[in-house]
Amino acid sequence: MQRTYEEINTKIRSGKAVIVTAEEIIPIVEEKGIKRAAEEIDVVTTGTFGPMCSSGAILNFGHSDPPIRMQKVWLNNVEAYAGLAAVDVYLGATQPSESQEMEYGGAHVIEDLISGKKIKLKAISQGTDCYPRREIESYITKESINQAVLFNPRNGYQNYNVAVNTSDRKIYTYMGILLPHIGNANYSTSSQLSPLLNDPQFRTIGIGTRIFLGGAQGYIAWEGTQFSPQILKDEEGKVIYKGGTLAVIGNLKEMSTDYIRAATFKGYGVTLVVGIGIPIPILNDEIMRNAAVKDEDIWTEIIDYSFPHLIKPSLGRVNYKQLREGNITIRGKNVPTSPLSSYAKAREIAQRLKEEILRGKFLLQEPIRKFTEESKLKPLLEKR
Amino acid sequence: MIKKKVILNFSPENVERPVTYQLIKKYDLWVNILQAKFEPKLGGKLLLELNGSEDQIKEGLSFVRQIGVEVMLLEQEVLWDEKRCIDCGACVSICPTGVLSLDQMTYKLKFDYEKCIVCGNCVEACPLQAIKVTF
Ligand code: SF4
Ligand code: SF4
Repeated sequence: MQRTYEEINTKIRSGKAVIVTAEEIIPIVEEKGIKRAAEEIDVVTTGTFGPMCSSGAILNFGHSDPPIRMQKVWLNNVEAYAGLAAVDVYLGATQPSESQEMEYGGAHVIEDLISGKKIKLKAISQGTDCYPRREIESYITKESINQAVLFNPRNGYQNYNVAVNTSDRKIYTYMGILLPHIGNANYSTSSQLSPLLNDPQFRTIGIGTRIFLGGAQGYIAWEGTQFSPQILKDEEGKVIYKGGTLAVIGNLKEMSTDYIRAATFKGYGVTLVVGIGIPIPILNDEIMRNAAVKDEDIWTEIIDYSFPHLIKPSLGRVNYKQLREGNITIRGKNVPTSPLSSYAKAREIAQRLKEEILRGKFLLQEPIRKFTEESKLKPLLEKR
Repeated sequence: MIKKKVILNFSPENVERPVTYQLIKKYDLWVNILQAKFEPKLGGKLLLELNGSEDQIKEGLSFVRQIGVEVMLLEQEVLWDEKRCIDCGACVSICPTGVLSLDQMTYKLKFDYEKCIVCGNCVEACPLQAIKVTF
């Protein structure tokens, strides 16, 4: 079976496209097989809703009179990077507030902007001949400023470790609180619903792909930072796909706090919980096979986060079916699990994306360019 | 009638005493055992909900103290802000009493308040600050 983007979009426009979520496809393929499913289904929708630290927003405030060339900028006391043109900033999600520290940060400003709240702006400058002003304090909202664009350099991690702690003290990590002596195990993907696990070799996902981003329509801007897809196979033939990431962009003004949230991991810091959904066009049987992947066939590694170095020891492998049941066995011990990434929300996003496509509101965009395939992760070496 | 949640801490010496029986029989209390954890030589812990008049509860608990069992009153309660909650499950694996779980059908958070001992673990684990302890 072969199908083109144009054929799918024509069907979407005429209301004839058949669309299911990455969860709904599983029993269909089990019952009918890959070939028949591929003939019947045009699009599979995916979703994920998890903490994604490498996120932020580009904002343009417009010019005041007299004008100022903003050199340092704070929004609700959270510093935004102003080393761009006069009134452009990049607000990073993890930047902590200067007055409330970890309780509030860039992610919270983003959430407040989306929900339409007033944000306090403060900027200072040395003053120049063309921009004489040295200081400004004002209030902005998403409606009062020119652009508010969410641009996240690394989102949608393909797969992630399971984090545990073998030490004898509780540790606070970006994978949540880890109890001593492997007291719990935290993981963070939407597994069988996750975009990059349903198209693990990037056959349809590339630069220019239209996506669901925070409730709005956004795009994949580039491969994500640290993009380094790997396919690992162990002796028993278990396959682990990992390392794929996405840089995404979209209009923050159109987003909804149902699908973008600020969060604080105690002892670690502020982060942004981002909702992403990607439609996978079923162009051939191979793409269908990949999109039908299920939790028991997606494996990941259990990693000891108490080890303070970059390369941490592995305590074995586990699949997402086991993780999702709420308990796994590590070194003979029964250990409760926590997802961190919301499966309920991932499901809601895949469902919403499906409905938007069914209503003809969301057309599929063929990638303008595929990702660079050969990409190896480089460590930072300390040189003198 | 009032309700009170208490934790009774038994030592190896008093672990064999029929405390709940006495609370029911002698002090006329309704006793709901929310959780029990006993180890033969180490003692144990009982999480109870007591129903009765203020005086009955007071007297019942002073009897329990007299026989050397430590009593902890759970005055606080946890508040879960369902609207703020995103069902991420970060709180699930650190709850010592299994109060928190993700429903295996909907994957939404279930909060079984009855068993809560107000330890506060979930409060610090929730990245959305959706759980608070009241005083
Ligand atoms: S306060 Fe403690 S016992 Fe109660 S729900 Fe939270 S973690 Fe569980
Ligand atoms: S950690 Fe907070 S947001 Fe996540 S499921 Fe628990 S209460 Fe909800």
